[in-house]
Amino acid sequence: MIIVNDVYKRYKTEREENDWVLQGVNLIIPSNVNVALIGKNGAGKSTLMSIIGGVDQPNKGYVERRCRVSWSMGFGGGLQGELTGRQNAKFVCRVHGHENDIQERLASIQEFSGIGEAFDRPVKSYSAGMKSRLQFGMSLAFDFDVYLSDEVTSTGDLSFRKKVADAFKKLADHSSLIMVSHDEATLKDFCTAGILMLDGKAHWFDKIDDALNAYKKGMSK
Amino acid sequence: MPNNQHLARSSLTITLAVWKALFLREALSRIFSGRAAWFWLLAEPVIGIVFLIIIFTVIRMRVVGGMDIAIWLTLGMLGFFMFQRTAMQVMNAIGANRVLLAYRQVKLIDTLIARAVLEGFLMIFISYILLAGLSLFGYSVMPDDPLLMGGAFFGLWCTGIGFGLIASVVITLIPGLKKVVKFTLGPMKILSGVIFPISSMPPQIREWLMLNPVAHALEAIRLGFSPYYHAVPELSVIYIFICALVTVFFGLALHRRFALRLVAK
Repeated sequence: MIIVNDVYKRYKTEREENDWVLQGVNLIIPSNVNVALIGKNGAGKSTLMSIIGGVDQPNKGYVERRCRVSWSMGFGGGLQGELTGRQNAKFVCRVHGHENDIQERLASIQEFSGIGEAFDRPVKSYSAGMKSRLQFGMSLAFDFDVYLSDEVTSTGDLSFRKKVADAFKKLADHSSLIMVSHDEATLKDFCTAGILMLDGKAHWFDKIDDALNAYKKGMSK
Repeated sequence: MPNNQHLARSSLTITLAVWKALFLREALSRIFSGRAAWFWLLAEPVIGIVFLIIIFTVIRMRVVGGMDIAIWLTLGMLGFFMFQRTAMQVMNAIGANRVLLAYRQVKLIDTLIARAVLEGFLMIFISYILLAGLSLFGYSVMPDDPLLMGGAFFGLWCTGIGFGLIASVVITLIPGLKKVVKFTLGPMKILSGVIFPISSMPPQIREWLMLNPVAHALEAIRLGFSPYYHAVPELSVIYIFICALVTVFFGLALHRRFALRLVAK
């Protein structure tokens, strides 16, 4: 379970203070439901994701993680370009305290990502799709309760999406996914519930269809 | 159950795991990234020192303060590199490691610490190799007071960390100042007495030059190497460590104070 309590966030730029991105977000996200995070550009989806992931701090309010939450997988985030996929994976294993069984983890990461020999080439030579394969492979190598995916699936091809979907079906009994995506089909494939970000607030919907409908209604206004 | 055991990781265990991971990662990219990076790591100080030794030999300067010029220059340069390289590496750590903050176990300060430790190790290694090289040319390279010499090196490392900590905050918050910091380190080499002996300066100027902790440390290294070396009379080892303590403390305080602004994109 993840509790988001009265979270406010705004970004400061050089001279002025920008508007609030999040204005009092209150959420309780259970850890057995796959949740889609939807909203228009700039609605604060990624901001909320990075606050849930513990990377960014809210200006006010707090987030309580009562389960093990993955890092937020975004566009190539957390990958160091000049190191190889294997070296990046090793780093992540060590950070998460898996020094002893590092070889098995590496093997499972390489297998899941399915990028073959590219695993031993620098990440900067990867395509966007290969990066997201590696990121998913890395995070699935650890037993998180909640996985955070910020548009990572959108760069993958069909076979990769199927692989990820299968993996999450297998994990469904004890792990879940919070995902940001603009692709309706992907969201419906993966998620059952939805959170709609609107005017700095978050609205929970038990059914993803309701969330998407509310989102579309808001758009057509 | 390995999972439950993993859940119970204490903050200290996490930090130690992160430091280890960062250290290995830094070592990897510092030593093996780019063509023959490990060679240039060693060659850069060697070329700098050999170049100076040749110049001083050409102008027929053989002895400084009772010490052979080659040893005098080598010790001064090694000490200065210990300070400068540590400071630069720590200063640039924030920009280079920003992607790693995607993992919430990694804190900004961890990346700076990992870099500082790596640079310290590298400089010890480089110093051994250089002194071993000099011994092949017939110089006596056994220090007379290894404790004083090692202590001064350690003081330089700490001062470098302190300088780097402060500079890292300054250049991140005010990016334009990066150039200023870089070109203050140039004259610093001369003002610290790497190339010209401070003891040959008149006392009024010396008084000012010896406000610089690096100058103290370089003289302490040379004095620790040979007890017959005529060091600057103002030399104080305690002063080096006071400066190190103050800069490290101030640097850490700045990091604490601006923690959110340093991480914010």
